[in-house]
Amino acid sequence: MSGSRHPSMDRRTLLVAAAAGALATACGTAAGQPPGKVAVLGDSLPWEKPMAAAGAAMKRVASLQLVPEVNPSLESFEQIVRSSLRTNKTPDMLKYWSGYRLQDLARTGGIEDLTHQWDDAVAKGWVDPSLRGAFTYHRRVYGLPMNLAYWVMFYNPQVFRAHDIKPPGTWDGFLTACARLKKAGITPLHGTAADRWPSFIWFQEVLSRQDPRFYQDLMNGRERYTDPRAERALRTIASFFDKDWFTPMDLSHTDAAAALVRGTVGMVACGTWLGSTLAGAGGKPGENVGAFVLPMADPKARPSVIFESSALVATVKGADHDEAVEATGAWLHPAVMRAFSGALQDGCPNPKVKAANPVIAGLAKKVRGDKLWLLNRFWEQGPPELVEATVDDLAGFLLNPSSYRSTLRTMQGRADEAWKVWREAEQS
Amino acid sequence: MTGTATPAHGAAKPTHVRRRVPVRTPHQAAKTGGGRLGGPLAALPWALPAFAFVGVLLVYPFFRSVYGSFFEDNGFTSSFTGFDNYTRLADDPIFGRSLLNTLMWVAGTLLLPVLAGLLIAVATHRMRCGRIAQLVIVLPFAISGAATAVLWNFMLTSEGAVNQVLRGVGLDGLAQPWLLEWPQNTLSMIVASTWQATGLNVVLFAIGLRAIPRETVEAAELDGASGWRMFRYITLPQLRAVSVVVVGMAIVNSLKAFDMIWILTKGGPSRSSETLALSMYRETFRLFHVGYGSAIALVLSVIVVASSWTYLRRQMPDTSTTAVQS
Repeated sequence: MSGSRHPSMDRRTLLVAAAAGALATACGTAAGQPPGKVAVLGDSLPWEKPMAAAGAAMKRVASLQLVPEVNPSLESFEQIVRSSLRTNKTPDMLKYWSGYRLQDLARTGGIEDLTHQWDDAVAKGWVDPSLRGAFTYHRRVYGLPMNLAYWVMFYNPQVFRAHDIKPPGTWDGFLTACARLKKAGITPLHGTAADRWPSFIWFQEVLSRQDPRFYQDLMNGRERYTDPRAERALRTIASFFDKDWFTPMDLSHTDAAAALVRGTVGMVACGTWLGSTLAGAGGKPGENVGAFVLPMADPKARPSVIFESSALVATVKGADHDEAVEATGAWLHPAVMRAFSGALQDGCPNPKVKAANPVIAGLAKKVRGDKLWLLNRFWEQGPPELVEATVDDLAGFLLNPSSYRSTLRTMQGRADEAWKVWREAEQS
Repeated sequence: MTGTATPAHGAAKPTHVRRRVPVRTPHQAAKTGGGRLGGPLAALPWALPAFAFVGVLLVYPFFRSVYGSFFEDNGFTSSFTGFDNYTRLADDPIFGRSLLNTLMWVAGTLLLPVLAGLLIAVATHRMRCGRIAQLVIVLPFAISGAATAVLWNFMLTSEGAVNQVLRGVGLDGLAQPWLLEWPQNTLSMIVASTWQATGLNVVLFAIGLRAIPRETVEAAELDGASGWRMFRYITLPQLRAVSVVVVGMAIVNSLKAFDMIWILTKGGPSRSSETLALSMYRETFRLFHVGYGSAIALVLSVIVVASSWTYLRRQMPDTSTTAVQS
């Protein structure tokens, strides 16, 4: 008899335990972290350790520890953010995108105004003030820069030396380098539509080198895709195809990094965050991995470089709201930034912190020394749904380069609609 | 229930047996008499949790999606737009391509894995080492769809294994970017899916083959049937019940094809390889056109339910007859 009762008691205990666990989990989300700790939800696993390192450093300077929480699925991450922001189950802090994506979030009223923290950091010299625009909505700052990746051309110095090529200082030098690599049997450039989003890379790079002002205006809805200057950029890319300078369009960045280290691909255009992938493929900064900023095609244009920076955001309704806001005040502290960017091996928005990776440190020196105009990346420029759709259009162009005119017409059609919706939403 | 314990002579008086149940007083019996034990409503309390689950997890979301499809909803704000999302579907070339890809998946999945599964099962049924051969073909089914996609990515990229093999044997002209251009990206993924899905069909058909009565086969052999005639007139009709299941599953699986496409091409390039499931996902969760995504979901649901229902309705009555006969 007792023997038959025990299993049912066990089952009951199990059910009670499961229910208690579920309740505790639900409450855990609502109650947030214990005092002295603030969770930061991100979408990238490689950011987990750097965030933990930054959290530990912050504990020393502000008695607050940042705890990384990662949802590595981009879609799921965005769903959680969007669906929870208006509720008190929302995460305390987020790693989000800058530019229009951040504006989209700020528009909901669900994230904190961090203008005060920004101004404070600028006064202390903890942040490059020119980045402000990328984190601003209606003249208020809603996110603090986390990393600062420059978009550059990675190359293999050993391969360049073997073929007597120097990192180009002019656009013509770049074209000559491509031609020389091609002659040597090396595919000069990595181009790709794999994984969808990278389809914008060459459009962004060529357009911003030919006319950075036009790039900025086009991305902000002040110019049109059907403009001859946009057409010129696509024609230039099409001419690279004509010369057979590109890799197959389904070569992923991971494979391209390996090919660069191996010496079968000449140059890979990417954000400096590719450094960790290159290192994983056996790349050693300065030895077989180098990087340069693509020279301006128009020498009279203002020298510029594309940047990419994630935003640290504090939510309004997070359970540990006060601590989260307090943490944002210490985020740009040199000790926190040093721990974070050192672990991430990427560039740092705090000019007082030198990048741990020598290649990135050299690039940062050049960008700051030459006072290059920092232009935000295509992905963060423009209403998010416009960017998502135009990326697909650019993928179509990469697969059929002669279609550049129809591609631009399609993109303009989308832009007309998307900007109309965006501006209507601005007014409402 | 009580009848099973009834002596043979008492079978003619079932009421007498019921009175002999010792634990139930007449009062209690009267109390439950409204819904007698085993009555249609008696099972309701037991079925309620199941109803609740199905209601919360299936019925409510379905009707919520139908309701949501009448709104322009970006995840934050929504406004009623009536049938606007559905009229937009009709004008959307991406939806048209998506529908076409979905149909290609249905046709491809019906033709390739079902036929291959049937042929392999029949060919290996009485073969020496046939079970080992079947096991080898079944193995890919044990791999998840996502892992299969990663594996096939190695094979189908421009520098991948398929093109390397083709170039290696001098067929350079056949080497091509399998995943970059429509329609071969969809066709390539159907082949990859076939590689994985065939195994399950082999198992199901093998079970069906073993269930064919030996006497039927022997009788056919005595009548002189063998080879193709045996297959056409004996094996195939006897496999009818299994075929219904296999084809039905193939239709539904192909209509909701997602994981392999998402990992191999993300529906691209330029949305050329999207199916309805991917379009729904992309519109809803990437572009945050929640209402429009709901409309696509509803169209997909209608197609899945209508095709499954039509197919099963055509097949099931005959199948039940076959099952009874066999």
